[in-house]
Amino acid sequence: MSAVSSSSAALQPAAPKVLSARYMAWYRFSRNPAAVIGAFIVTSVILIAVFAPLIAPYAEHVGSVVNFRARHLPPDLEYLAGTDKVGRDILSRTIFGFRISLLLVIGVLGVSVPIGTILGLVSGYAGGMTERVITGLTNIMLALPPLVMALAIGNVLEPNLTNAMISVTLLWWTWHARLVYRVTRTVASEDYIEAARLSGASHMHILFREILPNCVAVISVKTTLDAAYVILFGASLSFLGLGVKPPTPDLGSMVADGRQYLPDMWWGVLTPGFAIFYATLGFNLLGDGLRDMFDVEA
Amino acid sequence: MTLGYVELCARRLVGFALVLLVLSLMTFVLARVVPGDPARMALGPSATPEQVAALQVEMGFDKPLPEQYLLYLGNAVKGDFGKSLVTGRPVTEEIMSFLPATLELVIVTICIIICVAIPLGVITARYRNSWIDSLGRVFSLTGVTMPSFLFAILLQMLAATYFPQWPILGRVDHTLGFQASITGFMTLDALLCLRFDVFFSAVQHLVFPAIALSMSGIGQITRITRSAMIEHQRRDHTLTLRSFGVPQRVITFRYLLKLSSIAPITILGLEFAALIGNAFVVEMVFSWGGFASYGLEAILQKDLNAVMAVVMVAGIFFIVANLVIDIILALLDPRLRFKEAK
Repeated sequence: MSAVSSSSAALQPAAPKVLSARYMAWYRFSRNPAAVIGAFIVTSVILIAVFAPLIAPYAEHVGSVVNFRARHLPPDLEYLAGTDKVGRDILSRTIFGFRISLLLVIGVLGVSVPIGTILGLVSGYAGGMTERVITGLTNIMLALPPLVMALAIGNVLEPNLTNAMISVTLLWWTWHARLVYRVTRTVASEDYIEAARLSGASHMHILFREILPNCVAVISVKTTLDAAYVILFGASLSFLGLGVKPPTPDLGSMVADGRQYLPDMWWGVLTPGFAIFYATLGFNLLGDGLRDMFDVEA
Repeated sequence: MTLGYVELCARRLVGFALVLLVLSLMTFVLARVVPGDPARMALGPSATPEQVAALQVEMGFDKPLPEQYLLYLGNAVKGDFGKSLVTGRPVTEEIMSFLPATLELVIVTICIIICVAIPLGVITARYRNSWIDSLGRVFSLTGVTMPSFLFAILLQMLAATYFPQWPILGRVDHTLGFQASITGFMTLDALLCLRFDVFFSAVQHLVFPAIALSMSGIGQITRITRSAMIEHQRRDHTLTLRSFGVPQRVITFRYLLKLSSIAPITILGLEFAALIGNAFVVEMVFSWGGFASYGLEAILQKDLNAVMAVVMVAGIFFIVANLVIDIILALLDPRLRFKEAK
């Protein structure tokens, strides 16, 4: 913060200089405390997940370690967040739990965002029958209650991380398709698209070089906000018993495990529970910040 | 006006039927084409091949798939989803016995969402950028981002610590010996039977699950209402009203609120999907024993007939809610009626 404000103060004397749009956007972002906090939280979550083995005090507790002498210990200096029913360090497991959450986010959004974007672009640009089929399909998919569908799909297949990912992905692309479709529809009638077409540009060029850049802001805002929802969604799935197989630590199933020993062993629930909250809060604040920065509706 | 209105409703109904058709096809594909034999899955590994074969014939799994689908569709239209592979009872009957509990919870939740979120949105928009606004923002952000199971658990812990007498599991105090047998709605049935002690107990049981379930909706709707109010405050029509000397109170409540409720009501429809999903989690935490608990059980036991029905019913639930919302929106927003009529 201080670095940014001092550099902007340094720019003050040269006020007549025209500031670039990118700089203005960054300025808006960095002056928004919520957005900066969000960026900080998201960065910290990513760093914690990547460097989990180095940060976690008991990295080996991620596996099926059993230490009954240390079971259900309340938080103290040795185990900062207490221990679970078989004596594993809850803090270490929570730290590793971020990995599964982020893996789910990458897996789901890495597939569903491109698919949704392409379908949205094509349906908004092509019009006619293509448009009707794709938007119709999107609307029908949006009418399915996602958690129920994901539970059903995931469990009929077999409850594990890959299937959870597949089932969430199958439902997630629709939001992006709808969003990109809306932007494409407005942009496609602009004069410069017509100009590009008249000058002989291919459809591919128009779609990806002329229209897509208009969608980047919307997509990045939506994707950031979605990361929060995918984490929440994944946590709810694994809380209900569909997710990673034990002993792999997963935040949702850790909460479900801890719940059995409430209200006495509150630490078993609160640490992983608030870890989920921390991550979703971060992505949400960052997404809101990006939305204000780009000044778009997403 | 009426013509546009009728046409809008007719269009929505056709769309409704289409969505249901696709939904039925998807659930069928989900339940039949996935690897594994539904009869074997339901009976478990200890069943003999003869038992599996017998169940297959009984459930019609031995017929070709298209025939099975048509049979399923024909029966589903009549409200018959077949028999549970686990209990052997008709699925529809089982669902009907669990559905009122969830409906009761969801209806109360929606009332809470509307009663809290819309006023909160109006207030935060009115006192924009003040401490009230910041407080409201933190509140709605917490609602949106906190997992509903964490909310449910926190409420339970809070109750257990500070109100040890407050019930935190189930729908009613069983020692009262009351069965909700008229409508299935515990509160309504208690009132109908003039059992005020049961009514009181049912309301007590309802409070925490309903609050836990409503938090995410409150967060969303507050945000949307706030931004819609602010958006409309900037428009020319508000300026006109103000320049005519109409009091701010009248502008806010008679004009702005109606205009600004269009966006939140639209979102409420979409929020329904999240609500049904969250009901699974909240019902589990509070041992509510409703449709969602039944659905979760069916899914975990791989009772495919029940799973298909649960997904269908959840879908119908969502679609009907959106149909109602579309109709309300058309009443609120004349532009929608005219656009559809063209």
